Amino acid sequence: MLYPDTVEAEVLVHKPWFVATMFGVGLYGRFAIGFAIAVIFTLNVVLIGFAPLKLQIGIVWLELLLLFIAFFETFHLSLPFIREKLPFLISQGVVTTLYVSAISIVIASVIAVAGAVAKLSSNGFAYAIASFYTSFFRGLPLLMQVYLIYLGLPQLGFVINAVPAGILALSLCYGAYMTEIFRSGIQSIDRGQWEASRSMGFGFALTMRRIILPQALPVIIPPTGNQFISMLKDSSLVSVIGVWELMFLARTLGQKTFQHMEMLISAAMIYWVLSICLELIQSRIERHYARSKVR
Amino acid sequence: MTFWNRRQLTMAAVALALGAYPAHAGAVLDRVTSAGTLKVATDANWAPQSFMNANNELDGFDVDVAKEIGKHLGVKVEFVTPGWDIITAGNWAGRWDMHVGSMTPTKKRAEIFDFPAVYYYTPAAVAVHKDSKAKTLADLDGKVVGATSTSTFEAYAKKELTLDAAGAPPFEYKLNPKEVHSYENSTTAFDDLRLGDGVRLDAVVSSLPSILDAVKAGYPIKQVGEPVFYEPLAIAIEHGDPELSAKIADAVKAMKADGTLSKLSEKWYGQDYSKTN
Repeated sequence: MLYPDTVEAEVLVHKPWFVATMFGVGLYGRFAIGFAIAVIFTLNVVLIGFAPLKLQIGIVWLELLLLFIAFFETFHLSLPFIREKLPFLISQGVVTTLYVSAISIVIASVIAVAGAVAKLSSNGFAYAIASFYTSFFRGLPLLMQVYLIYLGLPQLGFVINAVPAGILALSLCYGAYMTEIFRSGIQSIDRGQWEASRSMGFGFALTMRRIILPQALPVIIPPTGNQFISMLKDSSLVSVIGVWELMFLARTLGQKTFQHMEMLISAAMIYWVLSICLELIQSRIERHYARSKVR
Repeated sequence: MTFWNRRQLTMAAVALALGAYPAHAGAVLDRVTSAGTLKVATDANWAPQSFMNANNELDGFDVDVAKEIGKHLGVKVEFVTPGWDIITAGNWAGRWDMHVGSMTPTKKRAEIFDFPAVYYYTPAAVAVHKDSKAKTLADLDGKVVGATSTSTFEAYAKKELTLDAAGAPPFEYKLNPKEVHSYENSTTAFDDLRLGDGVRLDAVVSSLPSILDAVKAGYPIKQVGEPVFYEPLAIAIEHGDPELSAKIADAVKAMKADGTLSKLSEKWYGQDYSKTN
């Protein structure tokens, strides 16, 4: 302790001017913080405005990402638990999710091409069947389709396992959506293209393959990419019939120790990363088909 | 063509003719013994009865009981984890042979299933947030209560519970909620309860073991009042195979007699739930 003053005096923190100052600072503190945040935010936006476009996009992405990380930070997640479970989440969950969606995507695409041709044909049966199919499978919730196929088919004597049932439901549902996408893509090509092609002696299949589809694909690809991404996530619905895919594991792994938030957020991040991969592939393909538009 | 093949062919033909998989006497048991594996359906999200352990394998009381039964039948046990409503929908079509997942035998369920043996009893209790002023169950009159959907806990809260299994202890309705919210499992109900007293829920009806587990994991909740009912929990199989039913009943009787069930119950619950008291 310094030299202890024996002079009787009022304690500093009780002096009226000190109390008043404290009160003033406290009152303005809120405004000051608000002011500082506003200045930083504005500066941030203005400065980003000076950056070239690519850098701008990168910085805004990064900042939004940091905001989300700060949001997840508030859950106080146990990182060691995530690290311990991550290998199984990937080796069992991601693998199952990926192969279920990959097979479904292929089947759905085949159904979509056939469905689109049928919907555009002048054959009454083909049109009726295709339009009934799209109407039915677009009109029912996917979860219900999963139940119907898994529980309903055995009534008819076909006992199928959980994974094939899930793949069937996903393929049929997304095949219906994609039928409409393919149909609209094909219809977007001017009839003059058909007429010119047929007058050159091309048959239907050749016209489709060589003239119509190459022009329709740039129209078809962006919405199809959307469908792939949403199918990847909708594949989580097959967890209700006991397929150990990513969502199923996310819900079960942390349950015993009440660390399900950890698993759910990890799964969310994994789904996001997978979607980003699909987005990148989609933009690659789009660039490929936009070659003719580059100057 | 051996006799066995012909028999299978006949079965398939009958299946096609009837448009359903027939479960004639002994069919399931025949399949189990010839395959050497007993396919058991259980939940993967119902700790401590059945859950994924640290090694990412199914573990828990129900899982151990199923493995013991497999040992008595002399076959390997394989687990499948369909959703609860898929299991209770019946019509298993040979996808799995037996369900060990703490199913309460009720008359309605007995229309679809055989219950060869009751293997333990769970006390069901009511949990409230730790800030709750409720001291007795009567204090929860007119409050909002949560429970797993289509569970006996929900049925109790809605006063629709019928425990008509042999040896089910009697109970009375002590809970008069204004509203009953349904949840996918008890954890999501506890998650809503932990938000605060009366924020979304005033109380949750669940099994006492799961409430105690949540408390142990740091959930700000507590049990209120005495257990509201003792739920007998049984092994379920589909109708039509009395031989399998008898085998399972014998296995459970033997496990009760030699203390295996009590030991497993002590291991998972710290108490002997294999009898009521």
